[in-house]
Amino acid sequence: MGRRWIKTGFLRRNLAIPEEVDYALNYSVLRNLLITLGLLFIAGCTPPPKVNRPNLPILADHGVMEGIPGKPGGIFVETEPGEPNTFNWFISEDRTSADYIEIFFMPLVTLNPVTNQFEPVLAKSWEVLPDQKNFIFHLREGLQWSDGAPLTADDVVFSFQAVYDKRYPNRNADDLSDDDKPFIVTKINDTTVQIQTPNIFAPFLTKITDVCIMPKHSLDHFYQDGTLQKQWNRSTAQNNPNSIVVSGAYKIFSYHPGERIVLSPNPYYYKTDTAGVRLPYIDFLINKFVKDQNASVIAFASGLTDAEGISPDDVEWVRRSAKLHDFTIYDRGLSAASNFLWFNQNPGKDKDGKPFVDPIKLKWFQDIRFRQAVSYGIDRQGMVDGVLFGRGAPLWSGESPANVKWFNPNVKKYPYDPEKAKSLLAEAGFHFDGTILRDAGGHPVEIDLFTNKENQIRENMATVFQENMKTLGITIHLKFVDFNALIEKLSESYNYEASLLGLIGGFDPSDGISVYLSKGRLHQWYPNQPKPTTPWEARIDELMIAELRTLDESKRKEYYNEVQEIMSEQCAFIYLITSNSYSGLRNKWQNIQIPKLVYQPLTWNREQIWTP
Amino acid sequence: MKTFVLRRCVAMIFLVLGVSALAWLLMYLSPGDFLTPLKAQRDVSPQLIESLRHQFGLDRPWYIQYGRWLWNIVHGHFGESFSSKTPVIELLKLKLPNTLLLNLTSLMFAWVIAIPLGVLSAIYQDSIFDRISAFLAYAALSLPEFFLGLLAIYFAAQTGWFPIGGMTSIEYDFLSPWSQFWDKAYHLILPTIVLGIGGIASTMRLMRANFLENIRAEYVLTARAKGLPEGIVMFRHVLRNAINPFLSSVGYVFAGLFSGSLLVENVMNYPGIGQLLYQAIISKDMFLALGSVVMGSVVLILGNLVSDLLLAWSDPRIRLGN
Repeated sequence: MGRRWIKTGFLRRNLAIPEEVDYALNYSVLRNLLITLGLLFIAGCTPPPKVNRPNLPILADHGVMEGIPGKPGGIFVETEPGEPNTFNWFISEDRTSADYIEIFFMPLVTLNPVTNQFEPVLAKSWEVLPDQKNFIFHLREGLQWSDGAPLTADDVVFSFQAVYDKRYPNRNADDLSDDDKPFIVTKINDTTVQIQTPNIFAPFLTKITDVCIMPKHSLDHFYQDGTLQKQWNRSTAQNNPNSIVVSGAYKIFSYHPGERIVLSPNPYYYKTDTAGVRLPYIDFLINKFVKDQNASVIAFASGLTDAEGISPDDVEWVRRSAKLHDFTIYDRGLSAASNFLWFNQNPGKDKDGKPFVDPIKLKWFQDIRFRQAVSYGIDRQGMVDGVLFGRGAPLWSGESPANVKWFNPNVKKYPYDPEKAKSLLAEAGFHFDGTILRDAGGHPVEIDLFTNKENQIRENMATVFQENMKTLGITIHLKFVDFNALIEKLSESYNYEASLLGLIGGFDPSDGISVYLSKGRLHQWYPNQPKPTTPWEARIDELMIAELRTLDESKRKEYYNEVQEIMSEQCAFIYLITSNSYSGLRNKWQNIQIPKLVYQPLTWNREQIWTP
Repeated sequence: MKTFVLRRCVAMIFLVLGVSALAWLLMYLSPGDFLTPLKAQRDVSPQLIESLRHQFGLDRPWYIQYGRWLWNIVHGHFGESFSSKTPVIELLKLKLPNTLLLNLTSLMFAWVIAIPLGVLSAIYQDSIFDRISAFLAYAALSLPEFFLGLLAIYFAAQTGWFPIGGMTSIEYDFLSPWSQFWDKAYHLILPTIVLGIGGIASTMRLMRANFLENIRAEYVLTARAKGLPEGIVMFRHVLRNAINPFLSSVGYVFAGLFSGSLLVENVMNYPGIGQLLYQAIISKDMFLALGSVVMGSVVLILGNLVSDLLLAWSDPRIRLGN
C-alpha cells in the first residue's frame, strides 16, 4: 500500500532523479526567493489606491475645524501595545478598546485637551436649566451614520437606555450615575434631548464627554433579543467591518487579528475645514499591534511609524535618528500620573482575629510625625536623577502640574532633610541604637514594602527609597510581587505594611472620589471605613461631597485645593515623583496640536491632520 | 483496527480531561482572577465587579466552575471569552488557520531539506560530509526555538532583508491577490526557518538511520548482484523502503512543531493560536485559555493517532489488534 502512495506521490518525481534533487531544490528556492523579493519591491512601490470619497452633501449644521486647511491623502502609521477586545461601547472595559471606540463613536460634547474647554460635537449647543440639574442638548440637523441613516435624539436615548439596562452590566453605568441613581434622558424632538441628574452633579459635562452615542437602527434589534453584548466583536471587524456603523471621522477598513487595524474616512463625517472640504484628510490610518514597548520605539526610531510615546529613559537614543528620519521629539512636560507610597493604617482584624498590621507598627504608621519624617527623609530629586535621568519632578500632592486646571502649587512640601526627619522621629519617641532606629518600646523599625514587579521604574523608585531610609535607621524589605497578587493584598487580605503604587491623574476632581472619601475603595491606607476615623479624613469627605454638589468652578477649585493641602500635610499617601513625558512625531504632519495631558494621544485631533 | 481506534479515542477523552483540569487548576491557584485588575481602577464600583463576577461564574468554587465548563464542552459550547464577550470558537477560528499554515510550511521545509541530506549522509557514511551534517544537526537540535526566533528578528532588523515579525505587511490590503500571496510567503520565510530547523535535524538523523538499515538488507545485495547500477539500487530500492516508516512519523513531527510554534509565534509577533493563548493566560481569560489548550491537545493527539494509523497502513507487518 505504501508503495502505491510513493508511486503516485510527488516525491517520486523528485527522488527518482537523485543527481538533480539537491540542485533543483536549491535553485527553485533561490529563484522563488528572488521573485518574492522582486515582487515585494514592486508592491512596496505601488501607491495605495485612492480612497473613495463620494461627494455627499455637507450638512447645514456642519462643524468647522480650526487650523490651516490642508489636502486629503496620506497614510498615518502608528503602533498600539494592545489589541481592542471589542468595538461595542456597551461592554468596553479596557483602555485599548475604549481608545478605538472613541474614534468611531462621537459624544455629544468633548473636552478640548489643549484649551481645556468643552466643545460641541454631535450637539451644536447645550444649556443648563436654572435648577442646575437639567441640561438640554441641541443636536446638529442632518447628522448621519456611516451607512447614511440619520443620527437623531433616538440614538442618544437608546445609548443611555442600554447602558442602564440591568441585563447588561457595564462600567459606564457607574460613571453615569450619581448616588447609584441613573440620569433621566428624555427626547424632546428629533434634535433635542434633555438630561436630568438626580442631584446637582458637578462632573456632569465631563461624564457626558465619555458617552459614545451608539446607533439605534443597527443595535436595537440585539438590545431587544438580549444579545447586545455579543455584537461588534473582533470577528465582526474582520469579516464584516462595514456592519460596524460609526459617527466618527474614521471607520474600520480592515482588521487583521493580532496584526493591525486599518481605518478609512467616514464619508458622512459632520466636520469640514474652513474651505468647506469634508474631513478627515488622512486616507488610511494604520495601527499595528506591537506588544513589546521596545519594539514599538525601535519601529519609530527607524522611521517605520509616524508617532510614538517615548519613555524618559529612551529619549536620548531615539533623538539620534531624528534628523535621518525627519521627526521631532516633543517634551510634553510633566505627566499627570502620580507615584506614591503609604503605610497600612487599617486597624481591623482578619477572620482568625489576627490584626492586619502588627499593633506596634500600626502605632508608628498612625503617627503623623513618623509619616512626615519619612517624607522628609526621601531624596526626591535624587530619585528623579537616578530613576528618570533627570526627566521628572518631585510631587507633593495627588495632582501634578500637568493638570493645569486643578493643580494646587501651595501645598506643604518636604524637601530632603534627614536632620529634620530625625528630630521629628525623636519627638515621636524613636531613638537611635547605633545605626538602627528603635521605637519607645525598643523595637527596631523594620518595614516590608510591596510593589508590583512588572514595572521597572517603580522597582527602581522603591530601591532608592530603601537607600534613603537607611540614613534614618529604618530597614525596608522590598517585596516585588505579581500585580494581581498585590491587588489582592491591598483590597482583600490587607495583610501588608507598606506599598508603593501609582495612579493616573489629570481628570476632574470627582474622579478621585474613590481615593479621597474615607469609605472609598482606593482610600488605600484604610479603605472602606464605616465612618471617618480622623477629623482630617472627615474634613476631606465634606470637601469632596461639597465639590460634587456645585456647578460653580471657582468654589470647586477652592474645595479641591484644600483636599490637596490636607493630603500633603497628613502624608497618608507620601507622594514621590512624576516623570516628564515625550512623544515623537514625523515632521511632515501638519495641524498638530500637542495636548498637555499625556493620556490624550498626540493625534487626538486626527481628523484635521494632513500632509503636504 | 477498529477497536484500536476506538481505544485511542477513549484514551483521548481522558487525556483532554486531564490536561484541561490541570490547566484550570493551575490558573485557579495563581493569585487573582480576570476581574482583579479592575479593582485597581478608581471608577469601577464594587457592585459592578460583583455582578460581573456573578455573570462570569467566578463566584463559585473551582470544581463547580470546571464542571459547568465541561458540561458546556460536551454540548459543543466552548464558552465565551471574558474580555471580548466573543465565543471562544470564533476567536480560535481567526487564528488557528495561521498556526496550521506555519506548521505545514515548517514541516515541508524540514522535509525538503532533511530527506536529501539524510540520504546523502547515509550513502557517504562516515565521510566528512556525514560528520559535518551530524555536527550541524546536533547544534540545531540544541538551539531552542525562541532563541533562534530572537536571532532571526535581530538578523531581519540588521539587514532589512526580511520583515520584522508579523504575517502580512501594512500595504497588504492594497495589494492584488497575487501580490498578497507573495506578501504572506515573504513573511513566512523566517518563522518557517526558525521553526523548521529543529525538525530538520531530527528528521535528517532519522532518515539516515533508516537508510543505513536498508542498505544492509539482503534485497540490496540481490539488486547489486543482478547488476543494477548503484544509483538505481539506492534511489529506487533503498530509498522507497527507507522512507516508508518515516512518512508515518509526520504526526510526531507535527506535535513537536505545534508546541514549538506557540513560543515562536510570541517571539516573532505571528498572529497564531500561541499569541492568543499567551494573552488569555496573562489576563486570566479562563474559557479562552482553556479552549486554546484543549484545541491544541486535540490537534496533537489526533496527529499522533494519524501517525499510528499511517504506520499500520504502510507496513503490513504491523497489524494492530490482530
